[in-house]
Amino acid sequence: MATRVETPAPRTASFGRFGRGFLIAAGLLVLWGLSAWIYQLTQGLIVTGMRDIVSWGLYIFTFAFLVGLSAGGLIMASAAEAFGVKSLKPLARLGVLTAAACVLVAAMIIIPDLGKAQRIWEIFRYPNWSSPLVWDILIILVYFVFAVVDLTVMSKRGIARSERAKWIRILAYVGLPTAVLLHSITAWIFGLQISRPWWNTALMAPLFVTSAVLSGTALVALAALGARRFDRFGVTDETWRALAVLMATTIAIDLFLVACDYITILWGNVPRERAALDQVLPGGSWQAVFWLEWIVGGIVPFVIFVVPSLRRRGWVFGLASFLVLVGVYAFRIELVVGGMIRPLLHLPPGIALGSYRPGQSSFETVGVYHPTWVEYAIVTGVLVFLSLLIVLGYRWLRIGTRDEEIA
Amino acid sequence: MAAATRKRWGMVIDQNRCIGCWTCAVGCKEMNNEPLGFWWNRVLTAAPGETTGESNSALANPASDNIDVPYGTYPNVEMAYLPVACQHCDDAPCVKVCPVGATFKQEDGSVLVDYERCIGCRYCMAACPYGIRVFNWGDPEQPVDFTVGYGKDYRVDGRLVFTPDRPRGVVEKCTLCVELIDEGTDPFCVQVCPVGARVFGDLADPNSEVAQLVDDGGTQLLPDLGTDPRIFYLPVDRERNV
Repeated sequence: MATRVETPAPRTASFGRFGRGFLIAAGLLVLWGLSAWIYQLTQGLIVTGMRDIVSWGLYIFTFAFLVGLSAGGLIMASAAEAFGVKSLKPLARLGVLTAAACVLVAAMIIIPDLGKAQRIWEIFRYPNWSSPLVWDILIILVYFVFAVVDLTVMSKRGIARSERAKWIRILAYVGLPTAVLLHSITAWIFGLQISRPWWNTALMAPLFVTSAVLSGTALVALAALGARRFDRFGVTDETWRALAVLMATTIAIDLFLVACDYITILWGNVPRERAALDQVLPGGSWQAVFWLEWIVGGIVPFVIFVVPSLRRRGWVFGLASFLVLVGVYAFRIELVVGGMIRPLLHLPPGIALGSYRPGQSSFETVGVYHPTWVEYAIVTGVLVFLSLLIVLGYRWLRIGTRDEEIA
Repeated sequence: MAAATRKRWGMVIDQNRCIGCWTCAVGCKEMNNEPLGFWWNRVLTAAPGETTGESNSALANPASDNIDVPYGTYPNVEMAYLPVACQHCDDAPCVKVCPVGATFKQEDGSVLVDYERCIGCRYCMAACPYGIRVFNWGDPEQPVDFTVGYGKDYRVDGRLVFTPDRPRGVVEKCTLCVELIDEGTDPFCVQVCPVGARVFGDLADPNSEVAQLVDDGGTQLLPDLGTDPRIFYLPVDRERNV
C-alpha cells in the first residue's frame, strides 16, 4: 500500500452505497438507544436488571471499557513521538481521533447510569474532593480537551511543518502522563474501596493502564483495517508488526497481573476474598467471563499476534483485535460483578433488593444480575455512536491523508 | 455549642437479648414509610462469633438463605441474631466517595443523605461494607395508600434528610431517626424493641448507659476495616447464657 496513487478528492466525495447503508443503520441504532433512554427516564432505573446488591451493571462495565479504549490511541501516538517509534507514527492521527471519540462517549454512558441525571451539574457545584469519581470527571474533561487540541494541531491546515512537529512532540510529553493518570484514576474508583475485597488491590491501576493500552491498540488496529478496506488507508507491514508486538506484550502483562491477583487470593485463602473470586473462577456463576478473558480474548489473540503466518492475514489480524476487545470487556465484567455479587456480610436473609416482587422474597444473599433490553439498547446505541464518531471524524479531519500532505 | 457538651450519639445492641423478632425492622419500615422491597434495618441470622471476628460470616457459611437456620452440624449447632442498619461510621466510606457531598456526617454522629442533592450514582452503595443502603429504582410502591410513620419532610441545616414521599433515583438509608433524636426521644427501633436489646445514648458522656455498655465489651461490625461505627454490639456471652 506504500505506493498508492494520490487522488484524495474523489475518494472522500461520497460514502458509496455501503457507507450510506452503514450511516442509516447506525443512525437507527442510535435512535433506538436514545428511545430506550427516554423510556428509562420515564420509568426510573427499575427497568434495568440492577438492584441493591449488584448496583452497577452494563453501563459501568461499558464506562470502564470505553475509558480504557480511549487510551491506546493517545498512548500509541504519544509514545511514537516521545520515544521515536517510527513504525507507529502513521497511526498517530487515527489514534488520537479514537481517543477523543472514546473518552467523549465514556462520559456519555455515565449519564443513563445516574438516578438523577438532571443533577449531574452538582458535581461541579458541590464537588467532594475525597471522591475518586470527582477526580475522574475532571481528568476525563482534561483528557478530552487535550485530545481535541492534539487532533487540531495534527490536522489543521496552514501550520508550518517544523512548527507542527514541535507542537506534536510537546503534546506527546504531556499526553503520556495524562493518559496514565486517566486510567489510574478510573481504576481507583474501584481499587480504593475497602468494602470490596476483589477491588481493593494496589494492582488495579497497573491493570487498568495495561488493559487500556491493549484494548485501545486493538481499536486503532480495527479502525486502520476498516480504513484500509474502505479508504485505501496505507499501513505498512512494519506498522502491523509493531501493533502485533504491542498487543501480544500487553495481553501477557495484563493476564500476568490478573494471575497475580488470583494467586494472592487463592493462596491466602481469606474467606471474604475467596468468596468474591470464586464467583468468577471456573465453577462460579459468572465463570463465562473467566473463559472469555483468558482463552477467547487472551490466549487465542496472543497466539495469533506472535505467529507471523497467522497475523499477516488481514482478517485474522482483525479477528484477533476484536477478540482482544471481547477479553478486555470480560475483564470489566469480572471486575464489577466479582466485586459486588457477594456482600461482605453474607448472612441470611441477605440484602433487600429495593424492589417488590410479588410471591418472591425481597432478599438475596448472593446478587443476581441479568441486563434488560433497555440496558442493551442504550449500550448498543452508545457504541454505535462511537463508531459513527470515528467514521465521520475520519472523513472530516482527512485522517486518510498522509501527514506530509496536510499542510 | 462547646466541645465538652457536644453529643456523640451511639447505640448498643445486646445480642444476648435479641430474640430475632424483627420488630425493630418492621417498626423502622413503618416509621419511615419505607416502600415495598425496602429494608433500612434487617435482623440477620448469624453465627455467634460474627461481631467478634471469631466466626467471620464467610468462614461459617449459612446453611440456608432463610432466617432462623442455625450454623453448624447437629448436635453442635449455634445461632445468634445480628440486627444491621446503617452503622453511622465515624470514618464513613460512603461520605468519602459521594461526589457531591449528598451523604454527610453530622457533628453529633448520624450519617445522612440529602434527598435533594443525591445524583443517584450509587457509588456509596459500592463503598458501604455493610450493604445497608437502598436505592429508589423506580417510583415507590406502598402497601397502603396513605402515609404512615413520621409522615413529613425533615430538614437539617436546610437539607432534606427525610421525606415520606421519596423521589425516584436517589439513595437512602437509616437516619438514626434524626427527627426523633432532635426532639429528645430515642430512635424508633430502640423504642419498639420488646426485650430492651437496644440502648441509645450519648457516647461522650461516660456515665450514660450506652457508654458504660460499650466499655463492658461492645464490639463493632467488621472492625478491621477501620470505619469506626457508632453502633456497637454486645456479642453472645456463653457464660451468661448457660
